[in-house]
This record gives sequence, structure tokens and C-alpha cells, in this order.
Amino acid sequence: MPNKTQRFREKVLGFPNYFKHWIRDFKGGLTILSILGLLSFPLVTTNSYFLGLFILAMIYSIFAASWDLLAGFTGKVSFGHAIFLGISGYITAELLKYYNFHWLSALFFGVLASVLIGLGLGYMTLRLKGPYLALGTLVIGIICQKVFALNPLKPILHGDEGISGLPALSSSTVVIYYVVLIFMIITFIVLIRITKLNIGTLFKSIRDDEIGSEAAGINITKYKIIAFMISGSFAGLAGGLFTMFNRSISPLIFQPLYSFYAIIMAALGGLATISGSALGAFLFVFLTAIFVDFAEISLLIFSIILIIIIRFTSGGVLKPALERLKDLWDILLGR
Amino acid sequence: MGTILEVKNLTKKFGGLTAVNDVSFEIHRGEFLGLIGPNGAGKTTLFNLIFGSEKPSSGTVRFDGRDITGMKPYEIVNLGIARTFQLVRSFRFLTLLDNISVSCLSPRGKKVAKQYGIDESASSILAAVGLVDKASLPPVILPHGDLRKLQIGKALGTNPQLLLLDEPFSGLSHEEQEGITDLIIRLHDDGVTVFMTGHVLRELMNLVPRVIAMHQGKYITEGSPQEVANNKIVLEAYLGKGSEQLA
Repeated sequence: MPNKTQRFREKVLGFPNYFKHWIRDFKGGLTILSILGLLSFPLVTTNSYFLGLFILAMIYSIFAASWDLLAGFTGKVSFGHAIFLGISGYITAELLKYYNFHWLSALFFGVLASVLIGLGLGYMTLRLKGPYLALGTLVIGIICQKVFALNPLKPILHGDEGISGLPALSSSTVVIYYVVLIFMIITFIVLIRITKLNIGTLFKSIRDDEIGSEAAGINITKYKIIAFMISGSFAGLAGGLFTMFNRSISPLIFQPLYSFYAIIMAALGGLATISGSALGAFLFVFLTAIFVDFAEISLLIFSIILIIIIRFTSGGVLKPALERLKDLWDILLGR
Repeated sequence: MGTILEVKNLTKKFGGLTAVNDVSFEIHRGEFLGLIGPNGAGKTTLFNLIFGSEKPSSGTVRFDGRDITGMKPYEIVNLGIARTFQLVRSFRFLTLLDNISVSCLSPRGKKVAKQYGIDESASSILAAVGLVDKASLPPVILPHGDLRKLQIGKALGTNPQLLLLDEPFSGLSHEEQEGITDLIIRLHDDGVTVFMTGHVLRELMNLVPRVIAMHQGKYITEGSPQEVANNKIVLEAYLGKGSEQLA
């Protein structure tokens, strides 16, 4: 029977082979192409508007992916994910502007705060299920929005105006682009890896049948809270990056709209896929940019699109689109 | 032999309704014990009380000498009790293999499964219940009888000493019942203590050497299937008043 050391060695030595197969395989190839595409985009254009669109899309990808881990994989559908955006964003902004922290440390503490919020939120919503969880998280988000806008709390929370005039991460949009891209790649590698590990299976068991999971000896309380903390940490990362990119933050970041963005983007791309969140986020950002004249009813349009997608496909846009592309890929590789 | 489970004066009240009323009995290690009673007798509630899914209003449950009253289900599972449910449940979007892997990943199950690898252990459990050829498929393709086998497999992943089977035969065809019966007998021969409730009396009575009867939440009697089947109160419970003439 192979012991631990032998199996580990097999894994490490087998990696180059595994990698080769993965690339030739459709999913790996597509991933590599996408990463290469994103990496080389600034070489195509240095126009800040287009770079900014991509940066926004990448930040939203991280946000949507974090939500997908919680909702798609653990079954906890939160309607208040913007809470993480906001808390992390405010901490990052506060440290950057008033305490002159380096942007990395400010971001780090923002993420740390999100982890703690995740702990708190996870604990508070332990007994809530389905619509009650959605409602509870939605309400907490709205409360945050109101509290942060309160005049009496202005000295600490900066009220309506929030914090503005943050120092730029860098004078070059291209640098910002690559920083965000690196964070996005790290995020997706980590989140996808998590879903493939044992803990991913445990999350899914909680999603599919909480009582059954408990009957299988799993401490569902512990894993629900862990899921909230992991999800929260990446949502917080998105929040910090968002704040730094906009160089400002206000209570509006807590509004339900941003929470809905996460849901729409993750669902667009396909729930419980993680990688779909990237597709959903980019689609969403591009479509809102193209239809900018319809901005006011954009949410309406997207809700309708979402309903259509849910009604007619079983896994968001990603799955059917990937089926077509996969056939194309096989043809290209001569199979 | 030793007592593996001791239930004392267990009572559960839901508002005005007493679902389990002052029930006491013992299960011996390695035993094969049945629990019968008409619908509403309190069998499933009793299971829930033992398993921690419900907190008793009063009374105690001791497992292996240790007071487990009011403990949470996952704690109780990791002490060595596993159960199946009356309404079959499964992890719908996981493969059969992963369904079993979940219990192999419990703290108790892991201790055993780690030695051979989680997937390997889950595989061998699937093989033991006869489902290994469908390992990479989701539970949705399984017929009812196989779903019950899957449930038993999931329970086995936690390496239980005591297995609580809630109505394992309900809804099964005769062949499926035989399949489950064989599986349960094999488990019992391997040393697992089995406590099962039954509605399909014939199968159960032929299977277990000792049976406890409940009615309206109360413990009525216990004994060999023959003794219990001839008990006046049991007959009344199942067939109505006046049927003790049939005894």
C-alpha cells in the first residue's frame, strides 16, 4: 500500500505530464488562452478607459467568484455580499488616507477585517436558511449603508461623503492593471483549488443536504463559518481593490445593488463553477459599457437576461458556450 | 456482552403532544434489535432523540456508558452511532463516490479512511453495498432500493459501532428488500450492533431475534418476535380493539 511520502512523490513527479495533458485538454487550454489574453491586453492599448473597464471586470470577477464559493458550493445564498466590499473598502481607505499605510498593508488589513466580518456573519446566519438567509444578509447590508451615512457618526465613519482623495496605487493605469490581474489569478487559483480539495466536497455536502451532512459526522457549523470567512476574505480583497481603483469610498458601496451584481455575474457565468464568475463579470461589465445610455434600466435588463438564462439553461452562459467551444477546440486539434 | 446503548425514561413533548413517553430499554453490544409500532408510535422520534436530532424533554441516553443526552448529531456520530433516514436523502449533486467520501471525511471516519486513502475507502464501501460500478454517477439515477443501500454506505463511512436503521424496507420491492436484508445481515456479522425500525413486519420479524414494541409513544413490551406478535396490546395497536381474541 503506497504510503504518504510515496504518493506525494508520485504527485510531484507526475505534475509536468499532468500539466501537458491539462493544456491540451479544453478547459486548461481555454484558461491559458484567457490568461495570456489578459496579460497581453495592455500591449494592445494603453487607453485608460479600456484598461479601466478590464480592471473593473477583474475586480468584479474576484467579488463574484467569492460569492460563488459561498452560494454555489456551500449553498449559502447571501444577498449582502456588498458588506464585505464596504467594510474592507472603508478600512483600506481609512488606513491609506489618514494613517499613510502602504497600499499592500492597507489592503491586508481590509482583508483581515473581512475575514472577521465573515466569522461574525457566518455565526449570525447559522440557523437561517434559504429566503431567510437572503433576507437577513440583505437587511444587514442596508443597515450598514444607513449606519455609515449617519451624521452623528461622521467623525468615525465619515457620513454621506465617505472618504475621497485616496492616493493612487500608481500613476500608471497599466501598473494598476497588472496588480489587479495578479490578485485575480491568485484568487481563482486558490478558490478553484479549494473546491477540488476535500473541504470542497464537504461544502457541497452542506449545500446538498445539511442534515445528511451532519449525519455523516461533519461539523456543519464549523464549515459554514469557514466558508463565510474564505468567501468574505476574497470579497474583501475585491472591496479593497475597488476602493483603491476608485480612489474613494462612500456608504453607497453597501447598497443592495452591489450585492446583486455579485449574484448576477456569478449566475451569468454559471453557478458552482468559480471560473464562470470571471466570464459573467466580464460579460456584465462589457454589456453595461456598451449600453451605457440605458444605464438607468440596466439592472432591469440584466434581471430579465438572468431570468431567461435561468429558465432556458441549466448552468449559466458558461456551460452551453463551452460546449460549442469545446467542439471547435477538438476540431482545431484535429480530433 | 455488555450494554452498548441504554435509554432511560426518555420523554419528548411537542407542546401538548407527547411523542415519546417515558421509554426505557437497553441494547446489548453486537445485538440485532428491532423496533415496531404503528405509524405515529414515536419510533422516528425515538431515533431522533438517541441521535441528537431532537433534545429530550427528560430522560437520558447512554452510549457505551457515556451520557450522550442532548449532544449534537455530529458529536454522536463521531462517538460511533450512525443512522439512516426514513425518507431517503443523498447529496444530489455529488457522485456516489463523493457521497460516501463525505462520511469518510468525518473525524471518526477519517481515522480509518486515511490509512488507505479517502477515495479508496469510499470505493470499498461502495463495493460492499454493491454500487461500485456506478461510482462516478449522481444519486439521481438510482432506483429506490439502491438509494437505501447508498444511505447505509454513507453510514458505514463513519465506522459505526451502532447502526440505527429507520424503516430500511419501506417502499422497496421484494427483491430490493432481500438485497438490503443480505447487506444488513453481513454488517451485523461483522460486529455492528443494528437497531432497526420496521413497518414491513414480516421481513423484520424473520430477521431479528429480539423486538421492542411501541405504541402512542409508550414502550409496550419486548421479546422474541413471536412473543411480541402475540401480545394483547400490540395486537390492539395494529388491528384495533377486540383483536386480542386473535392471539
